[in-house]
Amino acid sequence: MRVPSETYNRQLVKIRHGQSIKVVMTGVMMAAVFVCSAQEDKKVALPITLPKALFEGTPGGIQGVRLDPVNKAKKRGAFMVPAGTALLSSKKTVTASDPVTLVGTLDQVTDGDKEGADGSFMALGPGSQWIQIDLGSTESLYAIMVWHYHKMARVYRDVVVQVADDADFITNVRTLFNNDSDNSSGLGIGRDYEYIETNEGKLIDGRGEKGRYVRLYSKENTADGANHYIEVEIYGKPAVK
Amino acid sequence: MAPGASGAKLLLMKSSLIQAVLAILIIGVALAFRLPGLNLRPMHHDEANQAVKCGVLQETGVYRYDAGDHHGPSLYYITLPFAWMTSGRNFAGTSESTFRLVPVIFGIGAIILLLLFREGMGRPALLVSAGLMAISPAMVYYSRFYIQEMLLVFFTLGAVAAGWRYFKRRTVLWAAAAGFFAGMMFVTKETVVIAYAAMAGGLLLTYFRERGRAGVQADAYGSTQKVPTGVLDSGHILAFLAAAVVVSVIFFSSFFTNWKGPLDAIIAFKGYAGKSAGSSHEHPWYYYLQLLAFWKTGPGPAWSEGLILLLALAGAIAIFLNKAAGDRLFLRFLAVYTILITAAYSVIPYKTPWCLLSFLSGMILLAGVGAISLFTMFRANFGRMVVVVLLVAGGVNLARQSWGTNFVYQSDPRNPYVYSHTVGVFMRLVERVETLSLIHPEGKKMLIAVIAPPSETWPLPWYLRGYGTTGYWVDAKDLPEGIHPAIVVASAGQKDPVRSRLAGDYQEEYYGLRPDVLLTVLISRDLWDKFISEGGVAGVEKKYGLPVPAPSR
Repeated sequence: MRVPSETYNRQLVKIRHGQSIKVVMTGVMMAAVFVCSAQEDKKVALPITLPKALFEGTPGGIQGVRLDPVNKAKKRGAFMVPAGTALLSSKKTVTASDPVTLVGTLDQVTDGDKEGADGSFMALGPGSQWIQIDLGSTESLYAIMVWHYHKMARVYRDVVVQVADDADFITNVRTLFNNDSDNSSGLGIGRDYEYIETNEGKLIDGRGEKGRYVRLYSKENTADGANHYIEVEIYGKPAVK
Repeated sequence: MAPGASGAKLLLMKSSLIQAVLAILIIGVALAFRLPGLNLRPMHHDEANQAVKCGVLQETGVYRYDAGDHHGPSLYYITLPFAWMTSGRNFAGTSESTFRLVPVIFGIGAIILLLLFREGMGRPALLVSAGLMAISPAMVYYSRFYIQEMLLVFFTLGAVAAGWRYFKRRTVLWAAAAGFFAGMMFVTKETVVIAYAAMAGGLLLTYFRERGRAGVQADAYGSTQKVPTGVLDSGHILAFLAAAVVVSVIFFSSFFTNWKGPLDAIIAFKGYAGKSAGSSHEHPWYYYLQLLAFWKTGPGPAWSEGLILLLALAGAIAIFLNKAAGDRLFLRFLAVYTILITAAYSVIPYKTPWCLLSFLSGMILLAGVGAISLFTMFRANFGRMVVVVLLVAGGVNLARQSWGTNFVYQSDPRNPYVYSHTVGVFMRLVERVETLSLIHPEGKKMLIAVIAPPSETWPLPWYLRGYGTTGYWVDAKDLPEGIHPAIVVASAGQKDPVRSRLAGDYQEEYYGLRPDVLLTVLISRDLWDKFISEGGVAGVEKKYGLPVPAPSR
């Protein structure tokens, strides 16, 4: 068996040493990427402040109503969103299909007042109507909270929530929620559940969709011909280009 | 003839002509508020209930007085000619207008009936009262509402007018007329005992008050009146009672086919007395006065018939101070009667807003007296002009509110006279059933199941009267196992147990019945799929035309 010379051995050590450094460096870099990535994907429960409930349980007329599995559990579980997700819609500009409201003003939709009492909501007239919130810039959306009316239990019809890149909803329109089961509002047949309004509001998954404009449709409700909104909250983060 | 007398005659004729024109104008206004859009508002629970009961009479000719509910038979029998004229013996051929036309006619009739009071309160006061009755939001609203109330107002005014005319003329005809109206009051609504008691109280108090005066006495206007203290003619009493009893027996016995009816009508008082407390219709004593004085709930307009209240108060004060023009005895009776009936209705805990018509009609008569008393109180033209301007402005405001309550907020809970009413958007449910029947192979013979307690069922039987195969169950457990109706309407609270008894898959929808009551509508999957494949609402509408008019609000 041939014994390597000392020079050879020295050179071999150098080579191995260099490889080790490369391996270590690569490992460190990979770890750094992993940690950063893990930080990026870290999920936290979305903190939602609920308004005061104005009716206890379900009122007499609707005992046992189970429209949406979320309603079934009575209390909605934690909704996880990426860390750093924040409320984007506060005080943002609201426009609507009908600039003349029946009750209140459009800015009440994003004023932070979620209480159900008179004076906290605005209403648009009969038929299919929409409100639209301009976030000011393109954002990644993770959750949309809607409170139509929660003074008494009622169901709003044909609730459709869309996000788009332009104010006219022509470019890159994506539907996040649609419970118009017979397409009577003409935005396509929706597969989502109808739901009873309570102080818990309705949480709609933003799915990380990117967009600047959010539009919410409804077509009257089971109590009257109006389209009410107490508050809409849009949660997200600045979109990564 | 002296030139002065000729001038006075001319002035009198001119004045009569103006009054006649005003009377015609008032009737025209009353009709304009009452007749249009009688189907604008969905049927109330009680309206539908009454209409269906009348529908049975229309189709089968059978009516049996129900001592437990529904009130007297006059409403059904009086409606019958209208129903027959509309659709013969086919109840499904009637509409909301068929039935609501009846209270409209009695609402107009009540105004015309005021003519009988012209000597009692004077023509100017009468015209003001007629004008107020024509535009009063409550009077208009319930003149378009198919329940007994407007008939009761008409017959009560008739009884008061005929009774007063009897005391003036002492003829058997007026005695019989008073008996007829009193009998018709009884066959209209059991609560008539309150009005009877108030009338008796009014008569007694007026009698004792007048007896205290020294026989014949000049009043503030210099006229003299004899107090009617003489013994009543027994023949006249007999005529009064005979008319009242005959009318009652005819109606309660269903035109001599149900002899138990008249007895049941007496027994019914016990049941209605029991209803006076402990129900969901309990309200504080001031409820009616609050409704009339000022009402505002939620964002929306404020409502008030305060003008009538204030004028009625002025009228009552003028009457008690002997400052009112007209027949002192009649006015005194009117004031006492109105105060007593208002107090009685306020004291009884059971209250529904339409009951206020019973005393509002008296208040409106007093208001006419009050308006003229205020006018004559001022000697100067300026003061009188101010009174006229204020009255006209108040009248315009009442008319504006009448428009709002009847044609804008006709089924909106913010309207003071909307009480447990079917929401306007309930018509979406009716529209949905109608649309689905168009595409169902059996059309209107498709099987429909309704599972709900009575409080959550009405007015469905009215709206589903044209669907021959409709079944009604109160509880899900009574529903046959494995049944597969095309459409199921269930109380939302019974949705899950109902679904568990149905065969096959169903599409779920939700509709409001009243602001706090939701109904579940289950549509069989095959019917729903066909509906969607036909293009949904838009497709069916295009193919078959609009099934029902757009729902009212």
